Amino acid sequence: MKLRLILVSLIAFFVIQTTSAQTVDEIISNYFENTGGIDNWKALKGIKMTASVNQGGMDIPITMIQLADGRRYMKFELQGKEITQGVFDGDVVWGTNFMTMEPEKSDSETTENTKRESGDFPDPFLNMKENGYSAELLGKETIEGTECFKVKLTKKPQLVDGQEVDNINYYYFDSENFVPIVMEAEIKSGQMKGKTRLTTFSDYQEVDGLYFPFAIGDGIKDMGTQVINITAIELNPEVDDSIFKFPESAETTTSDN
Amino acid sequence: MKKTILLIAAVIGYTVSFAQEQIVLSGDELFGSLKARQIGPALMSGRISDLVGHPTNARIIYAGTAGGGVWKSADGGSSFTSIFDKHAQSIGTVAVDPNQPDQVLWVGTGETWTRNSTSVGDGLYKSTDGGVNWTKVGFDKSERISSIQINPKNSDEVYVGVLGPLWGDSDERGVYKTTDGGQTWERLLAGSNDTGCSELILDKNNPNILYAAFWQYRRTAWGFNSGGEKSAMYKSTDGGKTWKKIHNGLPSGKMGRFALAMAPSDSKILYAGVESEKDKGLYKSTDGGESWEYLNKDFGLVVRPFYFSRIVVDPKNPDILLKAGLYASMSRDGGKTFKELGGNYHSDAHDFWFDINNSDRFYIGTDGGVYRTWDAGGNTEMVNNIPVSQFYQVSVDTATPYNVYGGLQDNGSWFGPSSSPGGIEARDWTPVGYGDGFRVLKHPTKPYVYAEMQGAEGVWRYDVERNQTRNVKVFAVEGDPKLRFNWNAPLTQSPNKADRIYLGSQFVHVSNDMGNNWTKISPDLTTNDPKKQNQEESGGISKDNSGAENHCTIFTIAESPLDEKVIWVGTDDGNVQVTQDGGKTWSNVTTNLNGVPANTWCYHIEASNFNKGAAYAVFDGHTANDGNTYVLKTTDFGKTWKSIVTDDIYGFARNIQEDYVNENLLFLGTEFGLYVTIDGGAHWTQFTNNMPEVAVHYIELQPKTNDLVMGTHGRGVIIIDDISPLRELSQDVLNEDVHIFASQPFIMPDESSFGGGSNGSQFIGPNPDRSAKMVYYLKKRHTFGKMTIEVQNQNGQVMQEIDAKKQRGINIVTWNYRMKLPKIAKGKTFDFGGFTAPRVPAGTYTFVMKKGKAEYRHEIELQYDPKSILTLADRKAQEEMVMKLYNMTQDLAYLVFKIDETVDYANMAKDANAKLGKSSAGLIESLNDLKKTLVITTGDNYVGTADKQLREKIGDLYSVVADNYGKPGNGQYANLAILEKTLEEAKTKYSYIKNKELSKLERAGSKYDLGAMQEKSFEQFLKEYK
Repeated sequence: MKLRLILVSLIAFFVIQTTSAQTVDEIISNYFENTGGIDNWKALKGIKMTASVNQGGMDIPITMIQLADGRRYMKFELQGKEITQGVFDGDVVWGTNFMTMEPEKSDSETTENTKRESGDFPDPFLNMKENGYSAELLGKETIEGTECFKVKLTKKPQLVDGQEVDNINYYYFDSENFVPIVMEAEIKSGQMKGKTRLTTFSDYQEVDGLYFPFAIGDGIKDMGTQVINITAIELNPEVDDSIFKFPESAETTTSDN
Repeated sequence: MKKTILLIAAVIGYTVSFAQEQIVLSGDELFGSLKARQIGPALMSGRISDLVGHPTNARIIYAGTAGGGVWKSADGGSSFTSIFDKHAQSIGTVAVDPNQPDQVLWVGTGETWTRNSTSVGDGLYKSTDGGVNWTKVGFDKSERISSIQINPKNSDEVYVGVLGPLWGDSDERGVYKTTDGGQTWERLLAGSNDTGCSELILDKNNPNILYAAFWQYRRTAWGFNSGGEKSAMYKSTDGGKTWKKIHNGLPSGKMGRFALAMAPSDSKILYAGVESEKDKGLYKSTDGGESWEYLNKDFGLVVRPFYFSRIVVDPKNPDILLKAGLYASMSRDGGKTFKELGGNYHSDAHDFWFDINNSDRFYIGTDGGVYRTWDAGGNTEMVNNIPVSQFYQVSVDTATPYNVYGGLQDNGSWFGPSSSPGGIEARDWTPVGYGDGFRVLKHPTKPYVYAEMQGAEGVWRYDVERNQTRNVKVFAVEGDPKLRFNWNAPLTQSPNKADRIYLGSQFVHVSNDMGNNWTKISPDLTTNDPKKQNQEESGGISKDNSGAENHCTIFTIAESPLDEKVIWVGTDDGNVQVTQDGGKTWSNVTTNLNGVPANTWCYHIEASNFNKGAAYAVFDGHTANDGNTYVLKTTDFGKTWKSIVTDDIYGFARNIQEDYVNENLLFLGTEFGLYVTIDGGAHWTQFTNNMPEVAVHYIELQPKTNDLVMGTHGRGVIIIDDISPLRELSQDVLNEDVHIFASQPFIMPDESSFGGGSNGSQFIGPNPDRSAKMVYYLKKRHTFGKMTIEVQNQNGQVMQEIDAKKQRGINIVTWNYRMKLPKIAKGKTFDFGGFTAPRVPAGTYTFVMKKGKAEYRHEIELQYDPKSILTLADRKAQEEMVMKLYNMTQDLAYLVFKIDETVDYANMAKDANAKLGKSSAGLIESLNDLKKTLVITTGDNYVGTADKQLREKIGDLYSVVADNYGKPGNGQYANLAILEKTLEEAKTKYSYIKNKELSKLERAGSKYDLGAMQEKSFEQFLKEYK
């Protein structure tokens, strides 16, 4: 597999020297081909990632699960305690409140927006047309010092503070090997509204024939990023369905006072 | 397989052959994570040239600025974000497509409020994604675009009014139209070499009707002319095919600039501010421009038409209109009478935007930022987060942290810190002058700041400690002609004598006692051309002799840092003169300036730090309509000069900064940003990391921090922290796969975390990162395979893992001088004291970078803060207690972990066989009783919290001692003794339970095939427990 990737890169290298025109479909197709083959990507039913985030000396272990039907689960551990965030069972988005450590449902807009993106698994470019997304090649641009194809991905509009707004992500595919190395999107709400969210992808490694970025940086452009370091990825994991469900009967432990 | 090998061999060969060639990298490929830091300030903001909003969403507003790009608010004006950083920052007009207002925006660059210091634009831009990405669609030579009108029924049909160049002839002026969304353009109404379209209006109710105002105008470095026979207003009723002049009711004779507006609620009603020789003022038409009625000639309606020709009519009421002016004014009776707006808004209003739903609420664009009113102009409040201040100059001092000094267009003179607890806020800035501020300098040793206002009308020496001011301006003495000071007069500090300052008129004046007494040390060093000295006649139809056009003046003075007798002078009319004897004799070396057109403004001379005969001279020809870049270097006192300009540079230049260490490292400020060369000017690279394409007027290099400090004319002060890695760049370095740059010892600052008092709507300039750093160059971005960095102490113990940066080019990773957090015992709630990582002791540490199979090591030195009053013994005592508590924290975590494991075992035993239930229950009860004293087992993380237990008590002491500076006090030692004793007792208690009750259970369990409990070692626990 590794040799195949090197060869594909090398061939791409030569192809780039001789041909300049690329269509967006070719770029996306090359991306899936170089990272394991589109059929293998389509066959994927779920991903479990084990990762950690390092914050100034604090290592925070994270577990993330995404399933093909849109369900997802994220848990991190702090001082031995487990905290869930952004869990989605197909209907409800929920997470742990930091004060009470009890589960709480997310607001209706967050839930609706999550539903609108629930077809993104395992990659928003994979089932683009079925999801009603569209991609457009904007040209070549250098980012992270690297010449890339800049692709505009338009997804379903999002709800923000009572209004529908466009949901556009800009992906930068390395022109040498066609893997995305950066994603940018305008922040639509909160204090950082108007600024650009920047996600970086690196440390691509193979897992059972598919290539995944094992380091994902997330932050605000020109203001620094926080890296999620992935230590293991399990494909098609066995998952207990109950972890996605909002614990309706959760014990409402309040203060003892 | 053979083919594969051949292919690989071919590629390797290909790459190797490349490696022999010189590597020239663009800014995007070279500077990596070396980023500029924009510190504002925003408290005085800067000139706003255009305001426009979304047609149906009142939350969205755009502000075009004179030199700071386009800013967007999506929250009704509470906050604004820059959306046009990559392009020319001088904005003429912003337009929102009424058909696709969330997607399609247009920006015409080039401010049209054409004061002497105005910046230039370079064409028309379009965005189809709400301003995230922009594409240039033409008009490269237009310099100034006044208007963009979009057919409300057809987005592809767009009209553009091009005012055109201010400083010279151009054919690219007039009204243009596209019918294919900007791909092709047709000129519908031509201007002439000096007359362009200053306003274009499209009737939204009938898109075939257009109105255009044309303005004949010209600026030179020494004068301004507004008006002539060619200024006129026109109307078309056929989509621009034919036009007719609409002057029925207007005065005859020469005309100047028009302010033209249509009432959105009634297309027949037009207002026109008219600059004319007689009967100038406000006119109104109620028949679509067919005839005009003269209404008003109040000061507010005739003041400086070149600067204030803008009228905005209420979208709902045709009788309510706003007029730009020195003070903005409003009419509620269709223009018959006007009242100035209230509130303490900045003078010089240029544009307005009415809220689409509520006309009581509107926005005002001024020389000092955007203001909002909620009561139809009764009162006004400033938007505090648009840092578009226009600096003419900056300087720095040598304090720690150093301060930045500078003067601003129409916003006085200021100084403020380069770093401040909580970030650099509005309150950190101190005003030191009035009017237009220019050059502001700190006395090298005394607490004095020099500042000046326009034309050296005031030159102040301000005593910062005593808050006292002394005006030390230069006066003419007997025999002097009238002194000619530039609007931006050169006030310069000697690098050799602390009390010496220079000021230039047409003569060089020097003071050796901080401005108390002045001596003239030169003859008139300018061309003294009388034709360029008729400023009383300047202005055209409306006289405008503000002093801004004073000419034939000295503009730059530089004393050599290597020899106080060597002084360089550059003048605004193109002379370069040098003395080698402290002013006794002067050589005019102007004729030696190869390739620079005669009389080109000498904007800056930089005396070299390496050779007293060497200097750099920067010439700015834009006031003669010459946009070329001129930067020359001499090494022989001006006898010969060599251009160091290449095609890499875009825009005319104003300032250059030579590095203090590497003679070949130079920084050049142009109209469109910053350029860097590492080879003495053979190649230049634009610096674009968080650095907009803003006009850089002045550059300084702070000698202690190696920070490059830029005074920009539109985006405030921008700093690139520590440029020292650039000194090390060479072809050899660029050819390495990985190169780690040398580093100086790092100082670990002893400082509190207090600071920061601004609310969410105020701009806060970011502080520099004072962490330890490793700076490295990667020849290629790291995309495949693992790359990690960790910091080790001298024993190889890992202090922290660091997230690696992986860009091609320069990467900077930081370390906060701390270890990892201790492992914390698991309780019901968080132990907030446990979220503290200990600071490491001073000493040698190593960054270890693993990239694929290669490993790179970089040693750094950490030092204690030399400003601190702590002794080494104090620090060691503190470090000892911190580590004791750190270890106790982890010991407790292990103890609680073992208790939990034992409980799990007991539960398992209970489940395995009912006969074990009793022993299990007893064991569990004993363990839980113990655990309750060790960690909180009830309550929540807020006010429902339970009483503190041992974990929280250790955490409290640990976090206090770890974050303190100094030897712990007696109370802390006493408290530690209690905690140590309690922890030991707990350990003993657990051992007792384990030996007695657990052993009993294990023995009983063995009868039912239950194995003994497997206890994990402390090392195993540290590895696995999160």
